[in-house]
Amino acid sequence: MMSTAYRLVLLVMVLVSVGCAHTANETAPVMSASAPGENVPEPMKGAVEDPTSDVAAPSAKAAAVPSAGSNEQIRAGAPVAGDDESSVADGQIEDVYLDDDLDFLDEELEEEIYAVSDPLAPWNRMMFNFNDKLYFWFLKPVSSGYVSVVPSLVRSGISNFFDNLSTPIRMTSSLLQGKGTQAQAEFARFLFNTTFGVFGFGSPADDYPHLTKKDEDLGQALGAHGVGNGWYVVWPVLGPSTLRDTVGTVGDAFMNPVSYLPLGASMGITGEKKLNETSYRIGDYETLKEASIDPYEALRDAYLQHRQTKVED
Amino acid sequence: MKKVTVWLVLGLFGMIAASVSGAQGPLEALRGPINEVVSVLQDPQYQRGEQVEAGREKIWSVIGSLFDFTEMAKRSLARNWRVFSPMERKKFSEVFARFLGNTYLDKIQKDYQNEEVVFGKQEMLNSTKASVKTTVMRDTVEIPVDYKMLNRGGGWRVYDVNIEGVSLVKNYRTQFGKILMRKSPADLIERLQKKVAEQKEQGEQE
Repeated sequence: MMSTAYRLVLLVMVLVSVGCAHTANETAPVMSASAPGENVPEPMKGAVEDPTSDVAAPSAKAAAVPSAGSNEQIRAGAPVAGDDESSVADGQIEDVYLDDDLDFLDEELEEEIYAVSDPLAPWNRMMFNFNDKLYFWFLKPVSSGYVSVVPSLVRSGISNFFDNLSTPIRMTSSLLQGKGTQAQAEFARFLFNTTFGVFGFGSPADDYPHLTKKDEDLGQALGAHGVGNGWYVVWPVLGPSTLRDTVGTVGDAFMNPVSYLPLGASMGITGEKKLNETSYRIGDYETLKEASIDPYEALRDAYLQHRQTKVED
Repeated sequence: MKKVTVWLVLGLFGMIAASVSGAQGPLEALRGPINEVVSVLQDPQYQRGEQVEAGREKIWSVIGSLFDFTEMAKRSLARNWRVFSPMERKKFSEVFARFLGNTYLDKIQKDYQNEEVVFGKQEMLNSTKASVKTTVMRDTVEIPVDYKMLNRGGGWRVYDVNIEGVSLVKNYRTQFGKILMRKSPADLIERLQKKVAEQKEQGEQE
């Protein structure tokens, strides 16, 4: 008796699995075509806190009169630069454009924790513009000159030197986050590079995976302990930051040996560090500007996303 | 006993057949096109004069089939997608795709300095969604680039790129969201069209 039941179950499994593989290709377009029908009686999903009711009304109108809408658009003759393919006959729009399905938002709502407010926006935008000019009028030309004069070996040596000096910052931050192994690795790397790397100019530690450095700072340690970002702030010269990260930067300065030198020397050395760093990043800022519609918002969002990733790792 | 084992084996075969006919995984679906793009970038034939344009067209056709621009447009508008009419959605998707292509293809072609792409792991988030980790190796730096991919039956296609923790779609979502708080969908489309026209001018000046 048992063996017949087993046989039947296995037979069913085989048939179902083979059948599923073949029909997978057919079900997708069927689903998207039925989506517009669901648009109007759509249940308000509890997870969505936004007033979707305001949005649903105009979209219901829009969806209900798609052919009339597209008529208007075509008659209005809005010139579409460089688009030869968009001559669409009345009402013949691909299903994908009729689909109002925004299910992916439910999956992502859990990820969007970092909504950071920007009440200082007018000040921030001013600083953003100042930094923008500073970059194009000063930092970039000087950096480009620097690149052409200073060999890349020297530049990477200087970069290694400053990385080595900031070991205390990374170590402390790792310890504060309970990352004991990483703190040990930072210390070992410091010893190794200072001796074998001749005061940190070389970085022979790069060849050893257990001696890798990890970009950590006080701001990240605070974030890992649940301290929220606070407001978004753009500092002149220093660039984008948040209240929390600014506190972190100030704290980090206490662990930077350069801060304890007389002011002139300290500023000179920090200037050199910034110049050297910029020499590797010429072009990155321009890319951000070209790739964005609103550069200020693009930079703000990129900074916040980047910090959030670093806090979480 | 023999009969049971026969059925067990048949059952196993059935399941293997099902997973194999499900075709390529996301990592494999990504590897081919990306390697093809890198080889075009490295090809000395496409480095000069008119051949640059030909190289660009080639890269664009590979990217066009790998990336699902409509999905990217939808996700970058998020809730605002519903505020757009179907015709506006179509126009927006097309101009957004063109904008992304112009911006990034230009950059990649001009700034390519023999970077290498190393493929990491793929992670299945569910049966239709996956994330593939890659690393771009420049001389001193390693840049982690993650691709989020969707498979709704037509193969795995990219719908988001995550560079050093910054998601492209989310970045544009913030920008578009801010703009759409004060302006209409038609205004946003026009602004994108203007950007594309500027890019064309710049391209012709060089």
